[in-house]
This record gives sequence, structure tokens and C-alpha cells, in this order.
Amino acid sequence: MTFRVFVIAWKELLQLRRDRLTAAMMFALPIVQLLLFGYAINTDVRHIATVVFDEDRSAASRDLVRSAESTGFYDVVGNVRSYAEIERAIRSNEARVAFVIPAEYSADLARGRPTHVQLVVDGSDPQIVASATNTAASLVTVRSAALTVSRLSKSGFARTPDGATLEPSILYNPDLRTAVYIVPGLTGVILTMTMVMITAMALARERERGTLEQLIVSPVKSVELIVGKIIPYVGIGYVQMAVILTLGRIVFKVPIAGSLPLLFALAFVFVAANLAIGLLFSTVAQTQQQAMQMSFFFLLPNILLSGFMFPFEAMPKPAQWIATALPLTHFLRIVRGVVLKGATFHELRLELLWLTGILVFLVTFTSLRFRKKLV
Amino acid sequence: MSQEVATSSQPSIIRAEHLSRSFGTLVAVKDVSFEVKKGEIFGVLGPNGAGKSTTIRMLCGILDPTGGTANVVGFDVGKEPERVKERIGYMTQRFSLYEDLSVAENLSFYAGIYGVPRRERKAKVEQMLQRTGLLDRRNQLAGTLSGGWKQRVALASATVHDPPLLFLDEPTAGVDPVSRREFWEQIHQLAAAGTTAVLTTHYMDEAERCHRLAFIFRGSLLDIGTPEQIIERRSLHVAELDVDRAVEAAVLLRTFPEVEEVSHFGHMLRLATRGDVDPEHFARERLGAASIQVRSGRRMRTTVEDAFVAMVRADARALRGERSET
Repeated sequence: MTFRVFVIAWKELLQLRRDRLTAAMMFALPIVQLLLFGYAINTDVRHIATVVFDEDRSAASRDLVRSAESTGFYDVVGNVRSYAEIERAIRSNEARVAFVIPAEYSADLARGRPTHVQLVVDGSDPQIVASATNTAASLVTVRSAALTVSRLSKSGFARTPDGATLEPSILYNPDLRTAVYIVPGLTGVILTMTMVMITAMALARERERGTLEQLIVSPVKSVELIVGKIIPYVGIGYVQMAVILTLGRIVFKVPIAGSLPLLFALAFVFVAANLAIGLLFSTVAQTQQQAMQMSFFFLLPNILLSGFMFPFEAMPKPAQWIATALPLTHFLRIVRGVVLKGATFHELRLELLWLTGILVFLVTFTSLRFRKKLV
Repeated sequence: MSQEVATSSQPSIIRAEHLSRSFGTLVAVKDVSFEVKKGEIFGVLGPNGAGKSTTIRMLCGILDPTGGTANVVGFDVGKEPERVKERIGYMTQRFSLYEDLSVAENLSFYAGIYGVPRRERKAKVEQMLQRTGLLDRRNQLAGTLSGGWKQRVALASATVHDPPLLFLDEPTAGVDPVSRREFWEQIHQLAAAGTTAVLTTHYMDEAERCHRLAFIFRGSLLDIGTPEQIIERRSLHVAELDVDRAVEAAVLLRTFPEVEEVSHFGHMLRLATRGDVDPEHFARERLGAASIQVRSGRRMRTTVEDAFVAMVRADARALRGERSET
């Protein structure tokens, strides 16, 4: 059985070498995607128009405003003298954030009494809320003051502090750089994209050109055909992963905290699951075009639901259920775990279990379908 | 059908017994039995959708029969399809080549698939290139070859493992006449060397190049035998006639039950008569009665095409008869 697998794998490589465009795409794709996602998708918020309502007007309050400006997060665009003016400024988009420094601020600080600063944030943009809150909290904390956050919503904002005393401590991406979060996840997205599409096309192409019929009449077994076709692309998948991680390290300074061998070993299950999905598509698709369309259709929920772009926890339950069935969701946890947190096998075994379960289901389902289709 | 006549003392390489296949309610092949002898060139004829491909697919082991059995190259194809697949070659009308691989790479791939060991593969490919005159084109991509050359490569690919039995599904579709002749020369050479060839075709001149023929129509085997036997059994006689008012003459002739077929060939009429009636004599008599003059007549050889058309029409008449009874 084995030699036929290699005959087929060799043929695939020969064809890939002739198909310069596809071959080039396989290596250009991860690089272009990496640069696009790495640079373009930037959820780091900077230069937020800010107004200040300084009731204290002391050296200490001016120091707080200056240091807020020096973070680069806040651009102070004006001073206001009332809550009404804050509301007007935010409603007119003149400012997104307002600092409210109470009259007793410097006095409290001088006497070592607990004090607080209020931050009013335009609630319409969650990204700004999160960033502004985090940054302000760290500013205030070093001055041993408490921060109260009020979001400005349709009904105005709560004058009374919501009582949250924020003391964020960020463990694994202390600078909160988006690239650090995006790049490892990108390996999963790229692998999903290439693996599914390539396998979906691989059989559709043989069917379209009539060579599948010739293979069916030959003594080649379905499993030999499938494994032979997949092997070269598993290799390519690993190369793509290495390219992304290396470039991510060099260009975006993404640290690799954990064990790469562990990551590459766990990636095998993920790659196999994607290949199985591609094969499933290829049992349905009659033409390469259909295979391509199905792959794209599959890619979208992967990008949106897997936690690649939006946090899994923030999604509604039904979306989470769908996401749990996607291999990418689990691989993202693995790759982020290993690369960012240095997670060990023991900590990732649940995700591996999920991936294996998905793989077993897919392989069983696909081979049942595939056998039918061959006859 | 038991019109089987053993034409050689060779052992049989295919023995199909009551082979049937239905797809849901559609019966594609029903109760087909025949034998193919070793070294024969065996033609399977029939209109599109008659069940030719279904029959061949069952014999190749890629479609399970729903009834009956077939023994191919010594194995029960329903039970051991893989054994059968290893020992047969198969060539489709689409010349299933990898267009982005060179001629030599295609041959090497198929040699590998059919289990030619790697050490012998190279020599085998060289031998095939030489045998089929493809040496000059070994590095040409298969997709850039003309139809005739593609056909050669496809035949070489299908025989690279020296199979004792070769299936060819409309092997000459879309190939120029010169290449078709060369192709048939190769098939006869292979047969002379002991390879059995089973092929389907629409070209009736090709049917006559086969040692034996099977006619399949609406899933059933209508007749089987050598081309001569098949023609003889129809008791058809054909003449080419030069007549006045050819169109009118044709219409008149078609009204007689003795007339199997009248067709126009240029200025001439080609008349086929049933039941051993002499066509020229018949035409002179009947057309004369209608004062249409037969200027000259010439006896023609009855072809497989005549026999084929006659069989299909007889079947259609029988079918109409059945329907009008019910």
C-alpha cells in the first residue's frame, strides 16, 4: 500500500511545481496575510480626544492630566466646567473621553486619604471603552487613587460612580499590542484557508479532468489516494506555520514563550481535521469552482466565530456552540496558549481532545460519503 | 441469449453470467451473459444509454452487479474487484492523462500506480516510449499534444503494466482518421501478442475490425458473434441503385414490408431488403410498376451498420407491438 501513496504524493508535487501560481500563492498568502492583519488590524487605541473637568485645579490635578497626555492615549482638546458640558462634548463627537477630577483630589492625596477620579467614556465604541479604562486605571493607580468609570449611553450617564475600582494586571501581553494576539491566531486561519481549499480542489480537479475515473479503475485504494494527496500539503502547512511564526517574531516581535515541538505536534491534528473538511467538500463539489466557493463559505464563520477576531466569551451562546464545532476555535487556544503563555501539553489536553473528536467524526463521515461517491 | 458460438479454442478471459444492474427502478443492464476468449478483440456496440458503459464498469470491478456474476481474468469481480483491477488496463474516451505532467511522467505515474517496482519503472517507461514512438515527445506536457498523440499516450499508460485484458471505452472518439488507423494497428499488435481487448465504439467501420461483437440495446444483449455471423443472421441484402426521381422512389420503397432501409447516398439510393429478397430485382419490379426507371444497380456488401440499424428498428417495432397490445 505504501508505495502507491508515495507515487501519488510525488505526482502531486510535480503538478504543484508546474502550477507556479498556486505554488507561489501558498507561500505568498501567509506573508501577505500576516502583513495585512499585523499592520492593518490594529485595535490599539491612541490619540483619543479628551476633555478635562478639573474641579480641583491644583498642581496634582494638572500633573495627572499631563501624564495622561504623555501616554499618547489621550489628546486633551479642552477643559469643561460641568457635567452638562461633558455630555455636550461627547455627543457632538468633539471628545470621546472625559476626566473628572474632584475638588478634594489634591487634598485627599496630600492626607493619604482614598480618593477617586472619574472617567466618562463614550460607550458607543467598546474598543475605546476598554482601552481608555485600562490606561486611565494604570495612571490613577500609581497615584493611589481609585478610578470610577461611567459610560455615556443614550439615557445620559450615571453621575454616581459604578463602584468598580479597577486594578488591571495584564499577564501575557503587557503592552496590549494587537499583533501579539493576532499573529499566532493567523497561523490557524491560514492553515484553515489553505488546507481546506487545497484538498477540496484536489479531488474536484481530478473529477473535472476525468483522471479520477482512471484512478478508480486502478488498484489504488481510496485511502491510499487520500493519504497520498494530503501528505504534500501537510508539509506545506507546516512550512506556512513556520513562515508566519518566524516573520511574526522578526517583524512584529511576537515572543514565543512555549515549546515549538509541542505546537507542531498538536498542529497535526488540526491540519488533519481541516484536510478532512476539504475532502468532505470535494465529495460534494463536482467542479473546482464549487470546491472553491464552499471553502470560502467555510472560512467566514471560522474567522468570525473562532475567537480570532472577537473574543469567544463575548459571543452569544448559539454562536459559541457553532464555534466549538470548528477546529480553528480549539487550535487558536492551543497556539495562543503555547506561543503567548508557554502552556504545556497538560494544560492543552482538553483542546486536543476536542480536536481529536472533531477529526474522528469528520473522517468517519467523509469516508462513508467518499465510498458512495466513488461507485 | 445463448447464441454464443465458440469461435476459438482459447480459454475465456471474461465469463459474464446473467449480469444485471439496476439503479433504483431503472434497469440499466438485464440478464447479460457472454464470454470473451483470450486474445480476442471484442467490440461492444449499442446506442448511447444502452447499457454498454454499465456493463464495462461492472466487468472492471468499479460497479457492483445487482444480479448475476462475472469472472474476469480468473477472479469473481463482485468478490475480488481489487484482484481484477490489478490485471486490467482501462482507457477512457477522455484520455485521462494529467495534462500538466509530461508524457514520461504520465507513464511513470501509471506504472507506479499499477505496482511496477521503482527499479523497473524507468526501463518500463523507456520501453513504452519506444514501442509507441513517443521518444521525441517524452518531455512534452500531455496537455499540449494533439488528439492522436494523446490517444497514444493514453494507450501506453493503460498498458504500461502489461495487462492481459484491456478495456477501451470509445477509444477513438474525436481522433483523426489517420490516428484511428494507427490505433487499430496497435490494438491488433497487442492482440497478436496475447492481450485481450474489449472496446465500445460508435464507429461501425471499427466494429468490423473486431473479432467478435456484442450488441447491447436497452440493457439486453441482442446478438453476439463475429461481424460476419451478425450480418448473416439479419438476412439482409443491399444494393446501390441509380434511379429517376430518387426522393419519390425512396418514399415508395419504404412502404413495402420487405424493405429494411432506404437511404440517399449522393445521387444514388441505397436499398436494404429483408428476408433474402434480391434488392435490385425487387426495386426494378416495384418501381417499374410505378413507372420509375432504375437506370443501374450494383450489389453492395452488407455492413455491420446495416445489421445494427436493422436490429434497433426490429426492437422498436417489437416495443410498439407490445404497447399497442396493452
